[in-house]
Amino acid sequence: METPLSELSFPPEKLAKVAELISRYPEGKQKSAILPVLHIAQEHFGGWLSPEVMDYVAQLLHILPVEVYEVATFYSMYNLKPVGKYVFEVCQTGPCMINGSDEIIQYIKSTLNIGVGETTHDGMFTLKTVECLGACGYAPMMQLGKTYREHLTKEKIDSIIAECRKFASVNN
Amino acid sequence: MARKLLLDKVDIPGIRSYDVYRREGGYQSVEKAIKQMTPDQVTDEVKKSGLRGRGGAGFPAGMKWSFIAKPEGVPRHLVCNADESEPGTFKDRYLMEFLPHLLIEGLIVSSYALGSHVTYIYIRGEYAWIIDILETAISEAKSNGFLGKNILGSGFDLEIYVHRGAGAYICGEETALLESLEGKRGNPRIKPPFPAVRGAWDRPTVVNNVETLAAVVPIINFGGEEYAKIGIGKSTGTKLISACGNINKPGVYEIDMTISVEDFIYSDEYCGGIARGKKLKACIPGGSSVPILPANLLLRTVKGEKRLMNYESLSDGGFAKGSMLGSGGFIVLDEDQCVVKNTLTLARFYRHESCGQCSPCREGTGWMEKILTNIEKGKGKSSDIDLLWEIQRKIEGNTICPLGDAAAWPVAAAIRHFRDEFEWHVSNPEESQIRNFGLAHYADPLVPAVAAV
Repeated sequence: METPLSELSFPPEKLAKVAELISRYPEGKQKSAILPVLHIAQEHFGGWLSPEVMDYVAQLLHILPVEVYEVATFYSMYNLKPVGKYVFEVCQTGPCMINGSDEIIQYIKSTLNIGVGETTHDGMFTLKTVECLGACGYAPMMQLGKTYREHLTKEKIDSIIAECRKFASVNN
Repeated sequence: MARKLLLDKVDIPGIRSYDVYRREGGYQSVEKAIKQMTPDQVTDEVKKSGLRGRGGAGFPAGMKWSFIAKPEGVPRHLVCNADESEPGTFKDRYLMEFLPHLLIEGLIVSSYALGSHVTYIYIRGEYAWIIDILETAISEAKSNGFLGKNILGSGFDLEIYVHRGAGAYICGEETALLESLEGKRGNPRIKPPFPAVRGAWDRPTVVNNVETLAAVVPIINFGGEEYAKIGIGKSTGTKLISACGNINKPGVYEIDMTISVEDFIYSDEYCGGIARGKKLKACIPGGSSVPILPANLLLRTVKGEKRLMNYESLSDGGFAKGSMLGSGGFIVLDEDQCVVKNTLTLARFYRHESCGQCSPCREGTGWMEKILTNIEKGKGKSSDIDLLWEIQRKIEGNTICPLGDAAAWPVAAAIRHFRDEFEWHVSNPEESQIRNFGLAHYADPLVPAVAAV
């Protein structure tokens, strides 16, 4: 089955990265690069994987679109609908719960006036709850982009929100 | 002070860089293995060391290596399992973040033993910043001749690649990990065939945990027999324990497996006692899937002996009266914690992480979460507790991979040891929303107990 050519495209340096990723796996096994390529695609195309983006990844890897859909829907790090500029992924599993993650989640909800899985009206923040991220000794915690924010308190949440707003205004 | 084999140099400034790591004696095991030993001799040292898989299952690493098939002309692979996701476990993260070259060194020696010329580190996607650290270490090792073509003039070639996962606990199971490495959903495979015969891309593959592969470095440096002298019984060498929950000093500790659980929790060298002067209620000693133990059974075995931090002692008494060392994820609960709530968060975790292939796990984990939610919210019935017991019993042993067991055990152990707390929730629906059950009969044996009821 021929995949229709996508109008989306990575810039040359990202295409070179994709080629390098594919070269890490045995010949003909380019599908193995799907998880890292989807990470690049999600970051490049606005923080989520639209059907068009997934089709483009299928085209890059010479696989069927459905092979990308079935992978993208399995792994929790891929967003299948638009998210805010900053995604707060707060852990709620045992060790974080013991150390007060419920209060942290509640505080973020009331401060940003959104529920879990929702995005603020200005498109700045999305709140997600996640399962154990391997930071149990530094609980409560959340993931923000590539980094972990640990030993969370209400004051820390306030300063993280302020930091994101400041960063966004400087970079706009 | 216990002997340290993995974390002994972690406090040296700059140890993350190749230059400092090398100056401090790093990569000597690669020189020794490649210049003085055959691959089989390396495997023999690992066998002699008694090293057991540090990911949780505790299978002898040298034996696992010896199973690898060697058909003519078929490439073999070593895959490092860095998909650390078992709640309570954060030791591999610590090791990779602060001692990346120790892992790379272990990978080179192990790849040499197994004949892997392309080795992968499958790392959980959330550890994004650690990928950068590892890739820097790999490129430093390469520019210093420890990776790439013809390593140290030996004719041995090796490339190491970091493969980033994308959020799925199940990919820590080795066959799910291989599926994921091949670019598929992380659905575990039916064994046999075992990965050692047909692994990644149908090639013979060994999958080992980060800490296991790092431990190969001291084993080669000091010799397998020397390594086996540390520890006790079949718990040889040292073990990383990640301690969390209600303790004064959460963190990653390297222990030799002769210390007691009591010393580990209360001594200042390790956890430093229960936080805020509270009493110990319970502990999950080896990652969320191993049975939770009340304080009395945690600190002493049924025979009344001090329980030790090792494979045999923690499992003394079986599941009726013991637990497991597992991954070393040590979760401590104080008197203010609610066992029902804690069990609920773990049930939710396993429901979220079930891959959905096997009905007992897919349906059972969701069902257990619903019942536990009801009990926790004060809407449970007394028959719910027996129903929970029945569900977990029907999941255990009836699934392709061990996630089913991992989901069943925490629920089973919570009911086994804390049934009165579950019953109290059911019979006191309003009060249970205001306060917790407290300590009751399983009070911290180290201090005079005050029952909450």
